[in-house]
Amino acid sequence: MKILGIDTSCDDTSASVVLDGGKILSNIVSSQTEIHKKYGGIVPELASRRHIELIWHVADEALNKANITLDDLDAIAVCHGPGLIGSLLVGCNFAKAVAYARKIPLIAVNHLEGHIFSAILEDSKPSFPFISLIASGGHTSLYVVNGLGQYIELGKTRDDAAGEVYDKVAKMLGLGYPGGPVIDRLAKEGNPKAFDFPRAYVPESFDFSFSGLKTAVKIEIHKSEVRTRTPKSFGVRPSTHEVSALGQKPDPPQPPLDKGGIEGGAFSEPRTPNPELINDIAASFQASVVDVLVRKAEWVIIKKGIRQVALSGGVSANSELRRRMKEMAEDREVELFLPSIALCTDNAAMIAAAGHHHFMSGRIAGIDLNPKAYLPL
Amino acid sequence: MQSKGGTVFLYGDLGAGKTTLIKGIASAFGIAERDTGSASFVIVAEHETFPPFYHIDLYRIEREEDIEAMGIWEYIDSGGVTVVEWAERLSEIPENAIKIKINYIDENSREIFIEGIDETDWNNM
Repeated sequence: MKILGIDTSCDDTSASVVLDGGKILSNIVSSQTEIHKKYGGIVPELASRRHIELIWHVADEALNKANITLDDLDAIAVCHGPGLIGSLLVGCNFAKAVAYARKIPLIAVNHLEGHIFSAILEDSKPSFPFISLIASGGHTSLYVVNGLGQYIELGKTRDDAAGEVYDKVAKMLGLGYPGGPVIDRLAKEGNPKAFDFPRAYVPESFDFSFSGLKTAVKIEIHKSEVRTRTPKSFGVRPSTHEVSALGQKPDPPQPPLDKGGIEGGAFSEPRTPNPELINDIAASFQASVVDVLVRKAEWVIIKKGIRQVALSGGVSANSELRRRMKEMAEDREVELFLPSIALCTDNAAMIAAAGHHHFMSGRIAGIDLNPKAYLPL
Repeated sequence: MQSKGGTVFLYGDLGAGKTTLIKGIASAFGIAERDTGSASFVIVAEHETFPPFYHIDLYRIEREEDIEAMGIWEYIDSGGVTVVEWAERLSEIPENAIKIKINYIDENSREIFIEGIDETDWNNM
């Protein structure tokens, strides 16, 4: 059976046709990164509008590439959360319209379940049970996957997601958006031991916490004596608040942290350190994130005795994480499954694959399906 | 702690401790601490408590029109309890709103300003 999957949970518009839950006939992803780059992050309203413009084209292309038409579809699966509500609404309403017009079943898939399925879509796939580590801009979670639809959440982030701290640290360093690829690149030139940033292992738990690391990096940037002006070429713009509070005057020399009254100039971009320092901060920061992700995965292997680990989410595209996970897997003699970057990052093939499983177990969504921004698996 | 329709506007830089404070507020609604994370990614984390608890994070939204477009005032007026992080992004705050600002002093200390609560009315606290 052929399922059309749709994912519009964040800034990528994606559609994919998957045959029998395992064979990808097409997987089209239209990234909006270029649009959001100049704003230093995803602008939700722009993302929703762009999804509306793109959804038909992307779905058409997915059907064309799979060499089928809407008539050949057996069902349509859509991601209904978690994600940006405006973006999710576009995908959900599109899927509902197609399901209604074509009288085919509508299937609702949790984005996180989709990520778990990305490991199963590769030729070399884990058998059950396996450990799934999902690290992205919105999530950092560890699951034990005992079978299709059987997930045990072992841990998740208590504050920021791994990809989110990458973006936030990149912003502090004036490196623009998205933060992952640029920090990964600069880290190769820096010393990972230059700064001893904290590693929050959250004892007695498989949970993660990255906000302390974020604070530590911020303190280090403020402490660093070698500072240059915030480079405008990186696209860092003053916040609206800064402009209104300072009456568009040029940036006065700033104390390390503001101590004004409640609305007194609270938000300001810190000064950017020099390039060598940026490289060292990037390398040391990345070492901390990767250490925690690898160690946590290793603890699950030891404690649960599970011999297979799969990675997913945008952060699994990180070269250092991939390298260190491979090392750890060799040391521990476990099998590591690193899906291709196209399947690690947001895509609709994983939604269609998970949708196939829902369909087989008779879980069909009603036409009254509503997306949810916050949707635990 | 907060009655229906209550809204708290939170100020403070990255790492000041806004999420930590929100974990505390959310726990009064029976939301486990580990279930209140950063809302920077989703912008609005909606918890189906009674009354509903909305955790809004404006960190990634810099333009006032985008803030309007994400429906912040609809959430605030919907009868739930709302906590807004990065209130620095708003040019206007409703009168009598509760404003809390957290300043980073050093690694182990913070300075907290609270405004907009009638200190004589302990039901407010």
